[in-house]
Amino acid sequence: MRGLRCPSCGLVTATWSLACSRCGRPGLEEHELSDRGTVVAFTVLSVPGEEFLNDAPYAYVVVELDGGGRVTGWMPSVRSAHDLSIGDTVRFASSYKPGVQFTKIEPTGVG
Amino acid sequence: MRETWVVGAASNRYGKMVETAREAATRVSLQAILDAGLEPKQIGHTFVANCFGLAEHQAHVGPLINNGLGIPEVPSVTLESACSSSSAALHEAFVQVSGGFVDAALVVGAERLGQLDTLSATSHFAIAADYSFETKNGATFPGLYATLASAYRDAHHTKPEMFGSIAIKNHANAARNPHAHFQKEITMETYLASPMIASPLRLYDCCPFSDGAAAVVVAAKEIMRRPASEPLVVRASARAGAVTDMQDRPDLLGLPSTRLAAAKAFRQAHLEPKDIDFLEVHDCFTIAEVLALEDLGFVPRGTAARESEAGLTARDGKLPVNPSGGLKAKGHPVGATGAGQVVEIFEQVNGRAKGREVPRTQTALAHNVGATGGSCSVHIFSRR
Repeated sequence: MRGLRCPSCGLVTATWSLACSRCGRPGLEEHELSDRGTVVAFTVLSVPGEEFLNDAPYAYVVVELDGGGRVTGWMPSVRSAHDLSIGDTVRFASSYKPGVQFTKIEPTGVG
Repeated sequence: MRETWVVGAASNRYGKMVETAREAATRVSLQAILDAGLEPKQIGHTFVANCFGLAEHQAHVGPLINNGLGIPEVPSVTLESACSSSSAALHEAFVQVSGGFVDAALVVGAERLGQLDTLSATSHFAIAADYSFETKNGATFPGLYATLASAYRDAHHTKPEMFGSIAIKNHANAARNPHAHFQKEITMETYLASPMIASPLRLYDCCPFSDGAAAVVVAAKEIMRRPASEPLVVRASARAGAVTDMQDRPDLLGLPSTRLAAAKAFRQAHLEPKDIDFLEVHDCFTIAEVLALEDLGFVPRGTAARESEAGLTARDGKLPVNPSGGLKAKGHPVGATGAGQVVEIFEQVNGRAKGREVPRTQTALAHNVGATGGSCSVHIFSRR
């Protein structure tokens, strides 16, 4: 996934913009975002909007990407608040819908 | 700048409206103008707040309202700032009156979504988020505030009962407010048993979709020789913005636009939080009331949920918050909400808030947030 990086202050963002939301300088550069990161906040929605009508319950997550930048997305595999915790690691998943989708990275080895 | 007053206020009962937003807006506008002891023709400008007028196939509603008030020659403009639309309208009215452009201005907010089902209403609300980067990724309005609530709970180790106490308090206040959508008290059992909408937000953490209309009249002190009601002196009218997207906020434990608007407002008014007797804050969800109290500077960060449970914000507490019942229980007719907060302050000051009076009414603050904090208004009022 492509994002933007501010050459002045280093802010990395996934949101479309012409100028940096932190330092105000115009002229952001394209930046390759990491495909994995850590959940910093999330909810599991039982009452969706029209476009996710057939997908609830699912998680909506804010993810801090490795290497900077945050992205929000949805996780169809998380159907209960017990299935996810702040601090869990996730990666981008391919999706049949236009939005950003994440999936959990299950810990490998002996748990 | 001229000293500027809120001189009249009126609201209908929030809930389900049979009449259109335009009719309800016109009705409360006339009430507010007469409440001020003025005539419609003394209004120099009308500021209309309406977010979802297109759900009624009606844009450009201001001239229709003015026509209904018998003042078709008066200019009007409709403002949209999501849930903070009518406080944004109040700010513009304040600018015009205090700046001497007009002597009196009408601020009216109205919304009607009751004709839509929950799914369609949820989708309408979600339009005010960032469609491309939030809604398309699965967000709803409750979902976005739930995300903030999850970060708050994780950082401050709160319990559901703390948020439940806010819902119970606001329902108890609304039960004594004839303008309120919900006029029933709830118990902790009801709160805890209510279904999850977006974890950790239960049904009773969420405001309802309400129809409603509210209006206030703003006038220069110098034209109000004998005000019909006790006016509110506008001590501060401040607005601020902030990064809208959740994904661009370094800190999810508050709304930066509230902090900015509050700092401006307290500076304008030469007041501090300790000088405020009671508040109407933007509690679209219980977490929003918690964040508001912290961001406005009334309690240290991380403590508002606990303090609320301990009774700080009850009507008879040290700092009464949302004596009207708030968005949570009085209701949230988006475009009317900010004006409705000022109606409550006006009624408290004028002794009309029977059964839900707060003990001190010298100085009050109204806090109104647009969406998840992309916009925020803070107004401070005091008695003459």
